[in-house]
Amino acid sequence: MKFAYYPGCVAQESGKELDLATRWVCRALGIELVEFPSFSCCGSGFVDEANEVLNVAINARNLAIAERAGLNLLTICSTCQGMLTLANHRMTDPKVRARVDGALKPLGIEYRGTVRVTHLLRVLVEEVGLPAIRAKVRRPLAGLKVGAFYGCHLLRPTDEMGGEDGEEPHSFEDLLSAIGADPVYYRGRVMCCGFPVQFVKEATASRIAGRQIQDAKAHGAHAMATPCPLCHITLDAYQNKAEKAVGARLDMPVFHLPQLVGLALGATPEELGLSRHLVPTEAAVARVRPSGA
Amino acid sequence: MAETTVSATFDVYRFDPAVDRAARYQRYTLDLAPHTPVLTALLRIRAEVDPTLSLRYSCRSAICGSCAMQVNSKSRLACETQIGPEIARHGRIVVEPMHNQPVLRDLVVDQTPFWREYERVEPHLKLDPARPMPADRPTSMTPEQVERFKETPRCIACAACYSSCPAVEADPEFPGPMALAKLYRYVVDPRDTATRERLVGIQAGGLWLCLRCHLCTDACPKDVRPSERIRDLKELAIAAQGATEHGSRHAVGFKESIRDAGLLNEMQLVRRTYGPLGLFGQLGQGLRIWRKKPEVVRRPHRIEKAEEIEKIYAALDTGTEAPK
Repeated sequence: MKFAYYPGCVAQESGKELDLATRWVCRALGIELVEFPSFSCCGSGFVDEANEVLNVAINARNLAIAERAGLNLLTICSTCQGMLTLANHRMTDPKVRARVDGALKPLGIEYRGTVRVTHLLRVLVEEVGLPAIRAKVRRPLAGLKVGAFYGCHLLRPTDEMGGEDGEEPHSFEDLLSAIGADPVYYRGRVMCCGFPVQFVKEATASRIAGRQIQDAKAHGAHAMATPCPLCHITLDAYQNKAEKAVGARLDMPVFHLPQLVGLALGATPEELGLSRHLVPTEAAVARVRPSGA
Repeated sequence: MAETTVSATFDVYRFDPAVDRAARYQRYTLDLAPHTPVLTALLRIRAEVDPTLSLRYSCRSAICGSCAMQVNSKSRLACETQIGPEIARHGRIVVEPMHNQPVLRDLVVDQTPFWREYERVEPHLKLDPARPMPADRPTSMTPEQVERFKETPRCIACAACYSSCPAVEADPEFPGPMALAKLYRYVVDPRDTATRERLVGIQAGGLWLCLRCHLCTDACPKDVRPSERIRDLKELAIAAQGATEHGSRHAVGFKESIRDAGLLNEMQLVRRTYGPLGLFGQLGQGLRIWRKKPEVVRRPHRIEKAEEIEKIYAALDTGTEAPK
């Protein structure tokens, strides 16, 4: 199994632990990641707001890089997944396509539209498969109740993102069960984390993040886990602000998806960069019952 | 031969402020054909089991937009949601009033906030008094002009989007998906003469509070796709007036940040969004994050072939081309 690896901006900088954990898990599961130092940012939804066609064009360039190498593209961020998938869709509009082609052709770049964009979550569930993952689990996360937090752009608009029901997904929970954790179902799991307005109106973003964390907590979650490093920023790095906004201590450790998979497959906390989180993860990791117990 | 029926369990939200101190869920079980709409089932409950059940409905044909409610936690029109798939998926059907509007009784909500936002965007043509529309013949539009409306004229104002919207829930300044989709419809109308004024008004009027979570687009029974029209409004507002708000400055700043190196420069973006003084306000939080993640202050590496990004910008981001 081989993919063009699209880490996205955050995992290359402040969210480096996500990149670490992804590489560890992919190595353990035999997923080959091919790197392309010419990949640019996906625009994160913000470039799309400022100039839609420009955003399609920079992503068509990214997709063309994978296409030239004959590879499908693997993302580890819900927003990257959404933006690159939307670019694939918008390129089917002849008017958009003509303008994008007009900008790319002079650079010798052509995107024919053949690259499938897929997220690590989907690869683990649909391609590696849950039985294969279950077989490799060395330390089942038994006793750890986890609230999955999907990140909007992995799911919606459902028509474009395909995959699964954008309001009632279950792939992440299925994966959590496969690694021995107890998934917790709560309304907030498919909601927004607040990130898009983090720099528009911080109080609103914090209120939204706080609500989702409180919801997970009310349903018994010891920890949350997300396939999106942008959700991770609001839920973890800005959790102190969320606590202020909702007027409650939250103390909710938030894992990146491959960190939990890595823990179950036998990686150490150091190998997964767990010390880089703002909210400590030790107590959650300690909850995992020793295997055989 | 009698049609096959299923035993359908409904847990219906009940609340009568005159007698109830808190809401409760009442269970009803009926034998119904799987294709029965939730609305038909509720009307049967009211007719045959419990005449006190209150709900809003009219056409029963997904045209009037009266019967939006939460069906198994999703904002849906009760008249076009069949019970079979709901039971197959959830084992029962939980029916609740719409979110983001106060409950008056049972499934009936007070829609005042929803309609207030609708009125605030002035959803009617504003014409130039000096150039009235001809009274003796219809005005015509080109197919290209009609295409710009996208799916917005289909909106039936059912409020399913408003009910599903986490931005409405979190911030009273956000007008909601329906009002903004309506606004878009008038912004792109070639007969309207207040385009710029409308865009300027909404840029400062909550437009940037949209979370682009696309829950509205999933909820809309008419496929109006409000979240995408809100995106269009953002681009049109920047084109009409430049970036005047935190939200638009962030979007434009992000765009510029990528032109430089191909990747996001987190520090530089914060400065562009908030200005140097605003950056100072972020210092405390920045330090907290920096202690664990020192990369936040680092300049990102320049991607290989970053000059291609610059050239794409030169072709598509001249600032002179009209958005779409």
